[in-house]
Amino acid sequence: MPPIADGFDYDAALHACALGDQQALQRLYQQDGRHLLGVALRIVRRRDLAEDVLHDAFVSIWHKAASFDAGRGAGRGWIFSVVRHQALNALRSRERDVYTGDNDALDALQEAQDGQGEHSNPVAEQFELQAEMGRLNDCLSHLDSGKRNSIVCAYVDGCSHSEIAARLHAPLGTVKAWLKRGLAALRECMG
Amino acid sequence: MTDTIEEMQALAGEYVLGTLSLAQRQDVERRLASEPLLRAEVAAWEQRLLPLTALAAPVEPSPGLWPKITNSLTGKLAVNLTPQAVTAAGGWQRWWDDLRLWRALSGGAVFATLVLAVLLTRQPSPAALQPAYMVVLVAPQERTAGYVVQASMNRQLTLTPLQGTAVPGNKSLQFWTKGTTWKAPVSLGLVQPNQSLKLALDKLPQVESDQLFEITLEPQAGSPTGRPTGPILYIGRAVKVAM
Repeated sequence: MPPIADGFDYDAALHACALGDQQALQRLYQQDGRHLLGVALRIVRRRDLAEDVLHDAFVSIWHKAASFDAGRGAGRGWIFSVVRHQALNALRSRERDVYTGDNDALDALQEAQDGQGEHSNPVAEQFELQAEMGRLNDCLSHLDSGKRNSIVCAYVDGCSHSEIAARLHAPLGTVKAWLKRGLAALRECMG
Repeated sequence: MTDTIEEMQALAGEYVLGTLSLAQRQDVERRLASEPLLRAEVAAWEQRLLPLTALAAPVEPSPGLWPKITNSLTGKLAVNLTPQAVTAAGGWQRWWDDLRLWRALSGGAVFATLVLAVLLTRQPSPAALQPAYMVVLVAPQERTAGYVVQASMNRQLTLTPLQGTAVPGNKSLQFWTKGTTWKAPVSLGLVQPNQSLKLALDKLPQVESDQLFEITLEPQAGSPTGRPTGPILYIGRAVKVAM
């Protein structure tokens, strides 16, 4: 997990946001803005778009803070989820605008990425650097490398099925099966 | 809900993972509003996978980003929601009547229309039954309002559904409240989906500002522990509305 300053109360800050306290939103931004921008940037892959995502996510957090149940101590996870889904929606809607969405276009993208394979870092290396992910780390390490890398590539870099196929040099059908079985195994392992 | 449980779990997993197309994502987001089980699966996946966010290196935002965010807040929030600002703007009634408030609170005009429809069609009632507090119960992480709670000064409370809620056959909706200083939520009983409910809060203190109300999905006979055990479907805090 990213370092967390001792004693920062996410739930209290969200509750204060719900009551209209802009300083509480600013405290959240100061606390985690750089981590959240990092998460968004990995997904949308462009600095200007990532900042747009962070902007929209914070406006959304402000408006939705009242609907967040502050009693269950999950405030930090909720904030990260809002940012990730904002980023994923931005990424997928940009893909729709850029590509026609037909398979030919996706295949062309896949081939283009295959051609520059050296530039895509192996996902396993980035992931093995992190030992403090606790139970998730244990469960991921029990998966075979195809499933593990597919899951990490999707979650961290916002990879679509065809992008995972291109990065891992695997057929699209195999990637879909890896994700499906990998997720089922993770769910089983983590409860 | 035509999926099998396994299909729904897989869909929730791929939604959180991010591999769905835009159309599929929008479909899931629509379904989250009315499908508590899907919502619970998504929430569980968010929790499971959250540690992976640590793999993204932090990036310092541009100095101009925070001012842009605050501008957007004040731009959209034409009404400032502090009590001082409310008084300055002409009191609660005017504040309450301001459509912009509902837009600001909900981020969506559909929600505003629904709530105003309920308010406008309400029959004139004796002064004692005028609502003193109002709570809009909203689906967590969504912008959709599910219920409106109105509480009068004489401890009468009504719960009015604003939209249909799909409840699996072996489950029930349970209604809870928790005052700001209470140690735990207190059950207000089971709720029939899509029906209004009137309650007398004889054994509870007068409703107060910020008091929490929520509806959770519980086993058919209600929570076995006397505390909420299932996912929260709708939640909100009380706002004083009497003049």
